[in-house]
Amino acid sequence: MKRHHITALLLLLLAALICYYSGRNFLKMHEEEAVYPSSHLTTKKRLSDYFPGLKNSPGDSSVYIFEGQKEGGTLLILGGTHPNEPAGFITAILLVENIEVKQGRVIIVPRANNSGFMHSDPQEGNPQRYSLGTPSGSRWFRYGSRLTNPIHQWPDPVLYVNPAGQKLSGTESRNLNRSYPGRKHGSLTEKIAYAIMRLIDEEKTDLAVDLHEAAPEYPVINAIVFHENSAELAVITLMTLQMEGVDIRLEASPRNLRGLSHREWGDFSKTHAILLETANTSHGRLKGKPSATLIINGKDKNYQKAAQLGRLFVPFDEDGIPLKQRVSRHLASLRALVSGLYELYPDLLIQIQNVPSPTDVEQAGVGAFLRPPK
Amino acid sequence: MIQIIYHFIVLYLTIHLIWFIIREKKFWNQLSGVIVLVMFLLRLLLIK
Repeated sequence: MKRHHITALLLLLLAALICYYSGRNFLKMHEEEAVYPSSHLTTKKRLSDYFPGLKNSPGDSSVYIFEGQKEGGTLLILGGTHPNEPAGFITAILLVENIEVKQGRVIIVPRANNSGFMHSDPQEGNPQRYSLGTPSGSRWFRYGSRLTNPIHQWPDPVLYVNPAGQKLSGTESRNLNRSYPGRKHGSLTEKIAYAIMRLIDEEKTDLAVDLHEAAPEYPVINAIVFHENSAELAVITLMTLQMEGVDIRLEASPRNLRGLSHREWGDFSKTHAILLETANTSHGRLKGKPSATLIINGKDKNYQKAAQLGRLFVPFDEDGIPLKQRVSRHLASLRALVSGLYELYPDLLIQIQNVPSPTDVEQAGVGAFLRPPK
Repeated sequence: MIQIIYHFIVLYLTIHLIWFIIREKKFWNQLSGVIVLVMFLLRLLLIK
């Protein structure tokens, strides 16, 4: 064997090792974090139970149903429509792991766009995971992308005409919150949207809430976005939250901005459609180095500077906007929405117990209310 | 069907690349070939 044959063999071995290491790291994005539902969970379904077209596809996702003994209203909570908006996802997980429903029903989908959790935005340098400490051990959660994985839906069209007829840029064809009311024979994202519409109809959902986050420089922030059918409910919720000292604003769903949950859920079903937004530093364009710490503590010097220059739509100081505060805000809004629904329609009472109090979450952190890893 | 054709194309190029690395006498050329080979192997194994 000549010398260059030996170097070739060593280099081929090196290539195999690099493939093994990078391949293993890359495929970790396909792993799903553990969820430990509360003992009061009634049924666990899949989105494909509502639309079989999603079966065995990366768009299929778990649906947790909590049913009370008495009849009442039905609440749907969607987390993870955009998997790079962790407060919505973690709020949904927190509820799945804690609640007990005494009256009415609560349906929770933590990973609304499951495919979006299976990749990361290219060139963003976002961490694949972040960890939250529970009383005994830490648990990891995926930080995904706003859009469906291009491996699952490719190629993007130059111009996307969504199911509601709105023309959008091509990449938006992979945005679940531009794809409602979905298409039965459409793309994967449109099929997920269609399955969620089927769920809303079949479960006779009275109130449907889509949990989101947005960059601190985005105007629709710390906001309740409502369909006109839910205007009264949104106003009652706003007043309740403001009385509790939560700074929040209302945003009416524009009639000419189509394909979004707060528009199409309201137009194509009987549910009260609401979308909630909090401010996520790790999501913004002005942030410094992306990291798991940034996702959790929300502190960033660039945003502090931007706030001092009056460029943000939310207050931002050296304490940042931590995940616990964003989750607490979502919990407070959900509580106010449920109480507002009862105020407007007393027969739609939804009685939920063991919901972590927003104040406690803000003080003790999210991890204190998550189940320890098994 | 498209995936099978795709696999064959990537496999064909991978084999050529490995054959090039084995025959090549200059170390730096071999190393350059390996850098390209990693991408081909990942595609071949459909790690995506």
